[in-house]
Amino acid sequence: MTARRFRIIATLAITLLFLLAWAFPILWSVLNSLKTDSDVLAYPPKLFFTPTLEPYRDVLFGSASILPNLVSSFVISIGTTIITMLMAVPAAYALARLRFRGKKFAGFYVLATQMLPPVGIIIPYFLILRNIGWIDTYQGIILIYLSFSLPFAIWLLVSYFEDIPFEMEEAAYLDGASRMKTLRRIIIPQVRGGIAVTVVFVFLNAWNEFLFAVVLSGNTVRPVTVAMFNFVSVEQTLWAKLAAVSVLAMLPVVILGVVAQKNIVKGLTVGAVKGGGRR
Amino acid sequence: MSGRGQVRFDGIVKMHGEFAALKGVTFDIEPGEFFALLGPSGSGKSTTLRILAGLDAPSAGRVFIDGQDITAADACDRDIAMVFQSYALYPHMTVYENIAFPLEMAKMSKAEIAPAVREAARKVAIEHLLERKPGQLSGGQQQRCALARAIVRKARLFLLDEPLSNLDAKLRLETRTELKKLQRSLGVTAVYVTHDQEEAMTLADRMAVFMAGEIQQIGRPADVFAKPNSIDVAAFIGSPPMNLIPARYKDGGVEIAGRRLETGLKEAGERNVVAGIRPGAVRIAAGGIPAVVELVEDLGDTAILDLDCSGISIRARVSDGDVPSEGAALSITARPADIHLFDATTRRRL
Repeated sequence: MTARRFRIIATLAITLLFLLAWAFPILWSVLNSLKTDSDVLAYPPKLFFTPTLEPYRDVLFGSASILPNLVSSFVISIGTTIITMLMAVPAAYALARLRFRGKKFAGFYVLATQMLPPVGIIIPYFLILRNIGWIDTYQGIILIYLSFSLPFAIWLLVSYFEDIPFEMEEAAYLDGASRMKTLRRIIIPQVRGGIAVTVVFVFLNAWNEFLFAVVLSGNTVRPVTVAMFNFVSVEQTLWAKLAAVSVLAMLPVVILGVVAQKNIVKGLTVGAVKGGGRR
Repeated sequence: MSGRGQVRFDGIVKMHGEFAALKGVTFDIEPGEFFALLGPSGSGKSTTLRILAGLDAPSAGRVFIDGQDITAADACDRDIAMVFQSYALYPHMTVYENIAFPLEMAKMSKAEIAPAVREAARKVAIEHLLERKPGQLSGGQQQRCALARAIVRKARLFLLDEPLSNLDAKLRLETRTELKKLQRSLGVTAVYVTHDQEEAMTLADRMAVFMAGEIQQIGRPADVFAKPNSIDVAAFIGSPPMNLIPARYKDGGVEIAGRRLETGLKEAGERNVVAGIRPGAVRIAAGGIPAVVELVEDLGDTAILDLDCSGISIRARVSDGDVPSEGAALSITARPADIHLFDATTRRRL
């Protein structure tokens, strides 16, 4: 065997190993969500079994339906994403373009908020929300999610705005456009890729969030990440149903990823190549 | 002075911290004039254009357009069109949308916009490209698109910031001619920034030569070329640049390399001067300054000779017919009217 051939095989083997390690939990969830409870617990594990949609039927339409939780997750994620983007786009534009007192500090503050360990601030957040009566409400959870999604979105978007040459904006002013019109007609269409990337990340962060949700939610507003634990109790774990909920919780993420894939790739590469926009 | 597109710059100063980018610039541009701002990098010409456009604010001084003080007016309210060096086309819009954009901002109806866009596109010969995006155009086509976007609105002032510098040499020459024709046919006032003195000479009705944040000279290109008022202007205008030779002036003549050449200045006395002779004004004739040909650069129709005149380097331009060979010894002279004299201390023209 030549050295080159050995290298290729070794690379392939290592790649396959990593791929398996990453893909195994997903594969496990998908397979077990199609089994009956007895098939899940069978030893040795069954590779060949009769697939059933019973777990899905149970978790969606049974007594412990997670549909209200999926709705909660959607409301929280979409709400967080919309409010974040409405505030992050103008803020990122201002940080990238305008000259104002305290700009450097503002930029640093945005980044610094990303460095805080979430677990350190969860108790103060809980106390604040409890005092204003917003525990177990959409507005409470969305407000807290904004505290980390907004700085993240601003930080991500600033580089996209910085990539647009100043001259483009100046040309628009000379063409008679106001600053707001320039932002809407000239700048935002050019950072569409960056906005798409940010929307996806903000949505996914909100959708996947567990730590804050488990503390700040209750029986009224309970996102799917928390509701999954309905199927884990002291007496038993309902593996098939838990796997079905996992797959259902993963679905929006996968769909969003596939739909936005083109924009994400474009947005990421555009962001990576710095233009002559900085001044 | 009345008329559309008249500009007055009155004592404009621009400071960047302690650094003065413009040190009190004053000039007037007449309506319909093609006015060039010429100077090397960092001389303040682009800053001047940006202040005129409203993209930068002056630290002191006032700007007037058509007699109206617009120093504090926003760029979008000045009714000025501009072609940028990078063209600054909107990449997400088609050529049609790019050209239509200023008209949309002026709140014109779609029915008015369509014929105006087609007319502007026709003037710069890009009617067939209207549906394309800027990314699908060549450099020359992008430049035309930027021109069309600037002329479509019939603004009172037309600013061009080195618009030809991104084109290749051949296209630059073609576009230069077209630009001049276009400006004449439209009758608009144009202010053109360039570091290329040939562009300024060929395009401009008048030009201002900038050096280190100040205007050194304003005038018709031919006048600036014929009578540069300082050593710096003399060195900047002309290709190859003027020979500038430290010399001793005495009673109407200068002594260079031990030989006396008569000048146009009839003034008694003696002083240190810098004598300027354009390469094209150097003549090969007997009885002049002895010189040895060090290098011949053949340009086809003419040739540039690098001459050594007893340690002084002089460049001469000769026609193709009489090119001496390298190493040849000859004698050079110049007509009195072709010798420019500058004060060695003040650097101003005598």
